[in-house]
Amino acid sequence: MTHRGPFFGWLFSLLLTVFIWVPLPSAADQEGTLVIALDTLGGQTMDPILEGRAPHAHYQAPVFDALVGFNFEKGGIGPGVAERWELADDGQSWTFYLQKGLKWHNGDSLTAHDVKFSLERTMTKESLASRASALRRNVKKIEVIDDHTVQIFTNGVQVHFPASMSRAVFQEGQLMPKKYIEKVGVKEFRKNPVGSGPWKFVRSVQGDRIEYEAVDHPHWRGKPNFKKLVILLVPEESTRVAMVRTGEAAIASISPESLQEVEVAKLKVVSVPSTMQAVYQFWGAYRSEFAKSPIADKRVREALSLAIDRQSIIDHVMYGQASWPMPFATFGYSSDIDTARWQAWGKKALRYDPARAKQLLSEAGYPNGFDLNFANTALPGTPYMTQIGVAVADFWNKIGVKVKIKHYEWGAFRLLYRGDQKKLAGHTSMFRTAGRPVAAARYYGGFHSKGGHHLFGSKTDCPQRCQDFDNLHLSLVAEQDDAKRAQKTDKMLEMVADSWMAVPIIEGKGYWAVNPKKVGHFKPIPGRHEFGDVFERMPLPGQKAWP
Amino acid sequence: MRRYIVQRLLQGVFLVLIVTTIVFFLGRLTGNPADMVLPEDASEEDRQEMIETLGLDGPVHTQFFIFMGNALQGDLGLSIRYRQPAAEVFFSRLPNTMKIVPATMIVALVLAIPLGILSALRRGSVTDRFSGAIAVLGIATPNFWLGILLIYLFSVQLGWLPSARMGGFTHYILPTITLGTFLVAGFMRLIRSSMLEILDSEFVKLARIKGLSEFKVIWKHCLRNALIPVLSLWGVFMGGLVTGAIVTETVFAWPGVGRLTYEAVIFRDFPLLQAVIIMDAILILFINLLVDILYAYVDPRIRYT
Repeated sequence: MTHRGPFFGWLFSLLLTVFIWVPLPSAADQEGTLVIALDTLGGQTMDPILEGRAPHAHYQAPVFDALVGFNFEKGGIGPGVAERWELADDGQSWTFYLQKGLKWHNGDSLTAHDVKFSLERTMTKESLASRASALRRNVKKIEVIDDHTVQIFTNGVQVHFPASMSRAVFQEGQLMPKKYIEKVGVKEFRKNPVGSGPWKFVRSVQGDRIEYEAVDHPHWRGKPNFKKLVILLVPEESTRVAMVRTGEAAIASISPESLQEVEVAKLKVVSVPSTMQAVYQFWGAYRSEFAKSPIADKRVREALSLAIDRQSIIDHVMYGQASWPMPFATFGYSSDIDTARWQAWGKKALRYDPARAKQLLSEAGYPNGFDLNFANTALPGTPYMTQIGVAVADFWNKIGVKVKIKHYEWGAFRLLYRGDQKKLAGHTSMFRTAGRPVAAARYYGGFHSKGGHHLFGSKTDCPQRCQDFDNLHLSLVAEQDDAKRAQKTDKMLEMVADSWMAVPIIEGKGYWAVNPKKVGHFKPIPGRHEFGDVFERMPLPGQKAWP
Repeated sequence: MRRYIVQRLLQGVFLVLIVTTIVFFLGRLTGNPADMVLPEDASEEDRQEMIETLGLDGPVHTQFFIFMGNALQGDLGLSIRYRQPAAEVFFSRLPNTMKIVPATMIVALVLAIPLGILSALRRGSVTDRFSGAIAVLGIATPNFWLGILLIYLFSVQLGWLPSARMGGFTHYILPTITLGTFLVAGFMRLIRSSMLEILDSEFVKLARIKGLSEFKVIWKHCLRNALIPVLSLWGVFMGGLVTGAIVTETVFAWPGVGRLTYEAVIFRDFPLLQAVIIMDAILILFINLLVDILYAYVDPRIRYT
């Protein structure tokens, strides 16, 4: 005689309990529409190779996964479609190991062939992806090892290559479906894109909105709680805030000017930490014709920094929603740096000390100040830079520097620092550095003789400091040993910090107005202003209350 | 009349060519779209490659001849930002603008004509002064501010109307008021002064002596003549509304031609900017031609040869 009865009864009870208490994920769990109002939708194209700038991380990210993902807690990079990656012993290639069982929205499996196809497509001459040309230079060939392993051979050692495959940095790592595009053609793909992200594309109305629908199965980035997602283009900030107040939108991008209105209206403010750093920098100061100019003197450049009351800018220009900066282009999540050391450096070196500033000016031979040309500009997405620039100029005026401030629209300003920088050399200007985890790439752009700004020297006129920097940078980006790379990164930071050539003013945040009745409490990804990788983790209003 | 129309059309072609040339060269002085695509610290090497990708690497005069050659065949180039034919992008936005412009014009005229007549008939009265004050306010109020004010009052505080975007009937109310306020003021002042002049004229006195009813004198004889200058202003406003409703379209997130023009300028999307301005120029030429034809209808003394 067997005693199955009590066993099956127990099993039945257990299963019943599980079904009652642990609801299985189903389409029915997802409800409502999450409406987001944005200031820009960039090129509003659903082909990843046609969007060059940051809005891709708002509106393409819901549909497309990237090869490398985020560290959601700290910021910076983390696992993506590739769950891990490793550098070959000779440093000449990276191998990426993909998650198994991933599917495109049309049901096809996502494989290493798609990764190869996507990167090669991003590298074509047709691509507008902002780092497409860098990718063309850096990648030698791509080989599929098996369905879940892909090896990327680089030209020389590229220790930071995986970072460039993450939306934490750029968009080049976004993956596209090989079979689907080859079957339907590029034109059809652009009309009806298929991705592998947690949201499926539904419709795009140019200049107005993009609509998405949540996938109804568990997704490695998180199964969306909302059934639908609509991203609206609402260029005027007052209108965006009004829409959040009326509930027409759940979330809207805002600037610091709107923070008070948002708080008065009892909405919530979500501040994304460390999305940018506002800086000022000296153009062409290395040139021989400026050898006797005040800005060629390091003491003067340091004095100008000491004259700035950063806390006052944080409190009054940024309404308290900004942080004390670390060295140029570094943040709490930056890789390869000693964060504690550099935070301490920032507190001390970037202090407000007008007495010492005046003393340094006297020592440099300018006790009564001097004339300083200052180009003020604001980069797209950070309009408050202009007000910061005006505040900085006022602080400099206070120590006797006669600032001649000139305001530039961003597109017009960009023309000035191209080519020989003739019109900008000898000037100081506002600038910005975006929140990115790898400082070395930004330092190349700022200080390398072949970089866009080349503040230490150019290809044709590279003084000693410029040569030292070029050599250090070259050795840093090829350094495979983590400890040695950290040392070299510290050295690079020291070199730039000690030059006072590009000086941080404040560390800015990304600002959002949120209607708590329309969406539950959520956390952004440090450093990534855009929410394209956060939408799926946003709870319904009743699911998680706001503190 | 037919000869006149053909002549005006030929002049129009010439004007469009001049406008195209000016826009082509002036646009390029203000920046390069490659800079708007690339990160702010991109190297010169990356920039050159992007310029090639965008097809902007040849000498400007060569680019101009290529553009003109294609334009004469109806191809205005590919929008740099949207990677779609620029003309296609323009025509996808034009219907949105054309939904709001006639509505605004109708509201403006329906309000301005009676108010203008009333002010003229009761010159110096409280009604006249009140209308005058409204006109000054309408002209002086920046529609950017007015739009935000209306949103705050009717959407945020009262909750009666949607804040922005295209949609059903209620979505038209606030943008129409915002755009129309300036128009009402302009039309009203013009109708008033025009009516005052006509009310003083000999033929009106004659009409009254002949015993015509005051209603007939005002609405049939005076108004028809008073509308002639209004027609000119209508043409100017109409062109301005189609191409220049940038502020209202921005405040109300209305995806029309005005906002498209602004975006093309900011992004240095030359092909799109050229296409928009060429299309706008053609549209304005047609509106002006229409005004001239309407002149002949309203005022039989005007004959084109």
